[in-house]
Amino acid sequence: MSHAKAEQRPGTAGTTLLVLVGLSMAVLLLTALLGMSKAKTGPIYSESNMLYTALVFFAGAGALYMSYGVTGIERYVKFASGSTIVGFIATSVAAGHRWYVAGRPPFSNLYEMLLSFVWTLALLTLVAEKTYKVKIIGSITMPLAVVSVILMQLLPSEVRPLVPALQSTWLHVHVSLAMLSYAACAVSFALAIMFLVQDNMKTESFQALTALGMVAIYASMMLRFRSGGFAVAGWDPQQQSEIFIRRGQSLFVTIPDLGWLFVLVLISTLAPLALYGVARLRKSEEFYGYANQAMFVTILLQVVGALAFVMRAKGGAYPSPDADGLVPTALAASPFLLAGIVGAIFAGLLYLLLMWRREGLQKMLPGADELDRITYKTICIAFPLLTLMIAVGAYWANETWGSYWSWDPKETWAAITWLVYAGYLHMRITRGWKGRRAAYFAILGFAVVIFTFFGVTYLLPGMHAYA
Amino acid sequence: MGAKAIWDKIYKTFATVRTGIILLITVVIVSAIGTLVLQRPTSDIDVIRRTYSPTTLLWLDRLGLTDVFHSWWFITLLALVSLSIIFVSIERWPNAWRFYARPYRRPEAHFRAVLPNREEFAVKDAKEGIDAAERAFAKTGLKAERIVDNSEVSLYAEKHRFSVFAVYIVHFSLLLIFTGGIVDALYGYRGFVAIPVGDTVNTLEMHDNKGNDIKKPMPFALRCDGAGQENYPDGTPKKWWSNLTVLKNGQVVKQKQIIVNDPLIYHGIRVYQASYGQTGKLDHAELRAASTNGTGTPKLITVAMNKPVELDPDTTVTLTRFEPDFYVQDNQVFTKSESPDNPAFELKVKTASTGKDITLWLFPRFSNVSQGPVSPYTFAYADMKMANFTGLEVSFQPGQWGVWTGVLLMAFGLTVAFFMAHLRFWAMVVDDPKKGLVLWVGGACNKNKERFEARFKELTGAIREELRASGNGDSTQPKTNGKTQEKTLAQV
Repeated sequence: MSHAKAEQRPGTAGTTLLVLVGLSMAVLLLTALLGMSKAKTGPIYSESNMLYTALVFFAGAGALYMSYGVTGIERYVKFASGSTIVGFIATSVAAGHRWYVAGRPPFSNLYEMLLSFVWTLALLTLVAEKTYKVKIIGSITMPLAVVSVILMQLLPSEVRPLVPALQSTWLHVHVSLAMLSYAACAVSFALAIMFLVQDNMKTESFQALTALGMVAIYASMMLRFRSGGFAVAGWDPQQQSEIFIRRGQSLFVTIPDLGWLFVLVLISTLAPLALYGVARLRKSEEFYGYANQAMFVTILLQVVGALAFVMRAKGGAYPSPDADGLVPTALAASPFLLAGIVGAIFAGLLYLLLMWRREGLQKMLPGADELDRITYKTICIAFPLLTLMIAVGAYWANETWGSYWSWDPKETWAAITWLVYAGYLHMRITRGWKGRRAAYFAILGFAVVIFTFFGVTYLLPGMHAYA
Repeated sequence: MGAKAIWDKIYKTFATVRTGIILLITVVIVSAIGTLVLQRPTSDIDVIRRTYSPTTLLWLDRLGLTDVFHSWWFITLLALVSLSIIFVSIERWPNAWRFYARPYRRPEAHFRAVLPNREEFAVKDAKEGIDAAERAFAKTGLKAERIVDNSEVSLYAEKHRFSVFAVYIVHFSLLLIFTGGIVDALYGYRGFVAIPVGDTVNTLEMHDNKGNDIKKPMPFALRCDGAGQENYPDGTPKKWWSNLTVLKNGQVVKQKQIIVNDPLIYHGIRVYQASYGQTGKLDHAELRAASTNGTGTPKLITVAMNKPVELDPDTTVTLTRFEPDFYVQDNQVFTKSESPDNPAFELKVKTASTGKDITLWLFPRFSNVSQGPVSPYTFAYADMKMANFTGLEVSFQPGQWGVWTGVLLMAFGLTVAFFMAHLRFWAMVVDDPKKGLVLWVGGACNKNKERFEARFKELTGAIREELRASGNGDSTQPKTNGKTQEKTLAQV
């Protein structure tokens, strides 16, 4: 019904939204320019100004892609593409400027990796749209780019000279291959999800999976629960870095009561999952409705939790079991916590989008078979890249540490990722697995990629502690 | 059941993709466990003891979970995976070879009827039709082969027949990599050696698989002639370097300055710059000795550990203890670190005539006057030099050449596997009882269907043009059937 409503006045609705988005972007850019002239933050092509420009344009693009998802108006995609292109150029200038200032390509710390990731993401969005005609992919990749740029603002961004082990060209090759392959895996993940949408997987199943993802994120956050408080890493404002007690072990501070809040959020993420379970057992439509309401509630609570976390962590000082007095912390000390919290909210919002506008989305996306094939093709690109990344990493390790394979957790998990995607290819090529099963496999593969990229660094420390 | 029957059964089980997948999943699960459980070769023994209770640790050890990647069952697992790869390849190779060695050149009637990608054109003259087709093949970049059989001419063109072997290349390269790894596991070694600057060593310190320290003699001696560290302005390390000399039977065989990422290689053995540090030991210190009688100016003396220095004919002073970064606890002096941030010197002043031994402590950062009982001399700190060592990783890995060759081969194999499709095209003029003289064109591929279908469309378009140009073609519409009509669903 709402789809018909949009069709009745596409002209006015379309123009209004375009004007709104365009105006907001213009206002943001104007304030930036004014602020720049006052604070003299450097020339317009400087890294921070270009990143801010990119942020504005990616945000605009994301809004327009999502609006296209909701209304189906073609014009949005044109402007969204244009916005993505401008954002891409701005990111390229930012990266180029940083390269020039640092004297090396941006690959040596988390800030620089995110910069490269955002650049690759914008590029792949444009490629997916122009070559594969999957126009809606920007609604997932652009918000991801926005979140990444925001995360970057929280991380230490000074150009630091490289420790001896990183002073090698192999670093650049290894990291760029890693970025490319992870980005390709991310795209295959998005495509697999779109396939499931087109393959008429029940909306309730999406609900269960989204709730499951949220539970996973908040359950792992429970590792930081400390008698009602929540432990975050301390932050040294002068050094602009984490505080270390000894090598590899950071100092943690306990934010009081935040632990209980997150326990509450965890329970709220379990609610939709539990209600889904009940609904399935009882085959009751009513309970599916309750589960949806529970989803609303948990998304709201997660937003509350996010706000509380941001307000408390942003420059507060808290007691620590390993130090006397109050130790400061900052948002920059917990980039991945923030990413997890924001990611969970974002997943919830995407689920709501699906719930409200499923038919519209399905009309806009390519057919299920098409998506299945493109997913396979994307993995055919990701897999050789993964292979090369591992091989180059092994060669570089051999040059620096004298051993090409030491069963380091990061190396082992990279190999596991490789094996999982090899499994996908085997099942597809020799066992003819297509459609649903292939999509599940692709989603599993990306979950393993995320664990390799983030989980290993934060849960299993080892020699690979750079990023 | 006879031996052959048992062997057949084993072979049949291993020669399937399903077994391979199951083995692969097992490797994944086991490897994941190996990252979640602390492994003895790479973890500090104290950390292990702190993390697991003695009973848990006992069971983890018994099950081999504390050294998964060197345990016999993991190695057996990898061996089974290799076996599975070998058997499946052997099983499927004959067909692949047959396919490669004997291409299907001439399209028989049944084949022509069922091939999904095919098109038919009405032609007036058989020879003209085939000639037109040949020209069209050439125009689209296909080299057509003429096959003559009882005065019936057909065309056959193909590309990348080699690509059917891609999967065998990829799996063989994997086996190469495994072999390299096994050779290194059996014959390779890695160890650490810290050489104080100026010294020569010829044994390595290594951990064996149980985490014990063992010493391994090297086939040559290494002398460190100098080493140093350069820092960035903010103090973080920029560069560690060492000047190394390789000595064999006392003769200098090789010399090189190494830095991180640039090792010294001698007969396959590689010496890497890993670290550089303070031994925490003092090389020597300069102190000012002032006589408490007030006679004379303070003397500048150089002291080293346990080496007496004469202050006057009656008195000597010996440095008996040195702590680089001291703190006091229960009236005892300990050190916090190896870094000389807060040194402490213990000095024994011995007077020969009275036979008295006086012990003094000097804490320069605290107060640059020695403390202790009344002594004929007091001391103040002037300067000191710490003894440094250069930390080197030594590794010998002969199997790595297998690994690198395997990697390059795999890159080649994957490229062929994913990006080279085996394309085949046929053309033949057939005298159909119902349709008359017809030029049949067909094509097949094993991957990248859309690219193939686009190419097939290009070919049939070119044929149509050639037929029209030669005046041979029938008006406009080709008599089509098969998949070529359904093309555009793919191009949304």
